[in-house]
Amino acid sequence: MALLELKNISKIYGDLKALDNVSIRVEKGEWVAIMGPSGSGKSTMMNIIGCMDKPTMGEVLLSGVDISKETARSLTDIRRDKIGLIFQQFHMVTYLTAVENVMVSQYYHSMPDEEEALEALGRVGLRDRARHLPSQLSGGEQQRVCVARALINHPELILADEPTGNLDETNENIVLGLFRQLHNEGTTLIVVTHDPEVAEAAQRTIVLEHGRVAREVINENFGK
Amino acid sequence: MTKRKMFLRMITASLLRRRSRMLIALLSIAVGATILSGLVTIYIDVPRQMGAQFRSYGANMIILPGEEGSLTGAVLEEAMQVIPSENIVGATPYRYVRLDMPSRQQSFTTAGTDFDEVRKTSPYFSVEGEYPQNRREIMVGKEVAETIGVRLGSSIELSYKPLASFEGEASADWVPGAALLGSSEGFNEAVLNVSAVLDEEGKISEIEVDALSQTENIGSLVGTDKAFLDQFLGKSLPLTLGEDVDALSGATISSQAVVDALNSSRSRENARLSENKEHYTVAGILSTGGEEEAYIYMSLEDLTRLTQEEIMDVAELSVSASAEELEGYAANIQEEYPALTARLVKRLAKSEASVLSKLQALVFLVTAVVLALTLICVSTTMMAVVSERRREIGLRKALGASDGSIRHEFLGEGMFLGGLGGLLGGLLGFAFAQMVSVHVFGSSITFQPLLLPITIIVSMAISAVSCQLPIKKAVAIDPAIVLKGE
Ligand SMILES: Nc1ncnc2c1ncn2[C@@H]1O[C@H](COP(=O)(O)OP(=O)(O)OP(=O)(O)O)[C@@H](O)[C@H]1O
Ligand SMILES: [Mg+2]
Repeated sequence: MALLELKNISKIYGDLKALDNVSIRVEKGEWVAIMGPSGSGKSTMMNIIGCMDKPTMGEVLLSGVDISKETARSLTDIRRDKIGLIFQQFHMVTYLTAVENVMVSQYYHSMPDEEEALEALGRVGLRDRARHLPSQLSGGEQQRVCVARALINHPELILADEPTGNLDETNENIVLGLFRQLHNEGTTLIVVTHDPEVAEAAQRTIVLEHGRVAREVINENFGK
Repeated sequence: MTKRKMFLRMITASLLRRRSRMLIALLSIAVGATILSGLVTIYIDVPRQMGAQFRSYGANMIILPGEEGSLTGAVLEEAMQVIPSENIVGATPYRYVRLDMPSRQQSFTTAGTDFDEVRKTSPYFSVEGEYPQNRREIMVGKEVAETIGVRLGSSIELSYKPLASFEGEASADWVPGAALLGSSEGFNEAVLNVSAVLDEEGKISEIEVDALSQTENIGSLVGTDKAFLDQFLGKSLPLTLGEDVDALSGATISSQAVVDALNSSRSRENARLSENKEHYTVAGILSTGGEEEAYIYMSLEDLTRLTQEEIMDVAELSVSASAEELEGYAANIQEEYPALTARLVKRLAKSEASVLSKLQALVFLVTAVVLALTLICVSTTMMAVVSERRREIGLRKALGASDGSIRHEFLGEGMFLGGLGGLLGGLLGFAFAQMVSVHVFGSSITFQPLLLPITIIVSMAISAVSCQLPIKKAVAIDPAIVLKGE
């Protein structure tokens, strides 16, 4: 059974079909990149997979369960338990320190555990920055905190929308390295990107155009 | 770390690290709480303050001699033992007598009193110069001073004409050719003197009336109105008003006094009519804006010496007690001293109550307005806070926060603000009340310890209510916004 399966989903805003009859499958442990021009529906799709939005039509199967008809409340529960999110604009709580930001994710999921949060920060190389506020961290450091926050609850699926869009080369490589580690641990990754280099790090690239799947490319060089 | 600890850590961090906006909300709660606790403190303390204040507006009990019997210093002192001495603010004796001022050919009501006590029972008396302290010093009302043109330090002569006293029947003296003297109490118990001469037939041939003590231009006319006086000529004594002579219109009492004086008149030789006079120095001029300005005041000792009578007409008491207690004291005095009448000065007791109820209404109104303003201000600020934190709220939801958690966190922040603002306001409010009390009432206020927790609870409740709309808005935020670029 695939971890995620979109069956003929469409998202329609008025006259606009942001997603038009899209079907994709992502197996457990897979690392998939999604590319496409601006406005092609990448974020719309991520919102639906991330349980923050519902498709106008079609089914979304997460571990075989159709979530497209669930209430907002149970979508929140599913998102909290199964999904880790990483955003282009990082999005940290500005008045909380790095470690506290990681703990917020634990807080909503189960129990805040400072030790574990510090370990997660250690994993992204920021243990010594744990007490810094976001304003005292660089963009790359903030995004690494967000990666730590996304992985802290051991989600089955990590969704990243343009995670390296605002990063320099060095930080992009650090983040990709972290994704590689997560992939090796068996975490499923879906990464939206404009950057071919980031896409090439994945096993497979799905290209969207005008809300449709234009093509799929298997990365022959993966793991080499 | 427990969830609760993390919760507290988040809301305190939010308040401490994002100061500016929260400071406004905190400030508005604190101001609201200050006014609330300040007004309530004043309100609680005011009845006590008002009591003292009203007592300073004069006596609240008077003691008068009853139908028979007279009021003297000794009787008064005894009767006052009914009231606990520590509750007696002051007890002022008054005796009212009309005294003539020969130099001006006018007479004035003069009060004999005790100036030390006047200060206590009539603190609103405003005296230019000094209260009389020495013998033969007087205080004149402003109106009197203006009428007769005296200034501080002026010397004036006042005279007292007692009722002529006789032995035996008056009619025995009414022989032809007799020169007669008579006196009687006219208007306001002021003495009026008459002298007359009888002709060979025993009929009145000459009459002279000294009516200076009577009301100017009304009663005093009985001494000057020729038509009125001419009626008496050729008449035999005794006379009856309305039959033998007609009253001067508008001056019936003074006219009656003239007739009475004639009917009790004796020959000059037999009349013991001693007029007492003394010179007095004006030590003070009294302004009250009331009828007191028409009086002359002297010490009761001076007046006693002048009149040779040691009595008083009324004692005014200022007693520190509630209306019920006062009534009890008056009833006790009445019961134990039947020769006295004790009455409450009702007007003041009533106005005290009505001012209090007006004040109560005012306090409620101001408090309600202040609370409403606080509510609006906190609500608006929290609304702005929610807008400012849209992305953060969206993020929290994306991270799995339920609507309940969001509600809980905002309410937590609001209550924390409310508690802090309430604490601040409760303390500031006491300072505010203290300031008002010292400036307005001239006395300090007692701290009401219970008011602090009450203020804190009310502030928390207000901010909880204020947060309802902002929370609604926060809960409605779509987590998907965090995936959309700005
Ligand atoms: N809430 C909405 N209401 C109306 N139209 C929307 C809404 N959200 C997205 N769209 C439209 O749907 C289309 C797809 O948007 P989406 O954000 O998915 O594009 P994207 O591929 O993520 O683009 P980008 O690379 O610029 O992030 C766009 O034309 C967008 O304007
Ligand atoms: Mg997008």
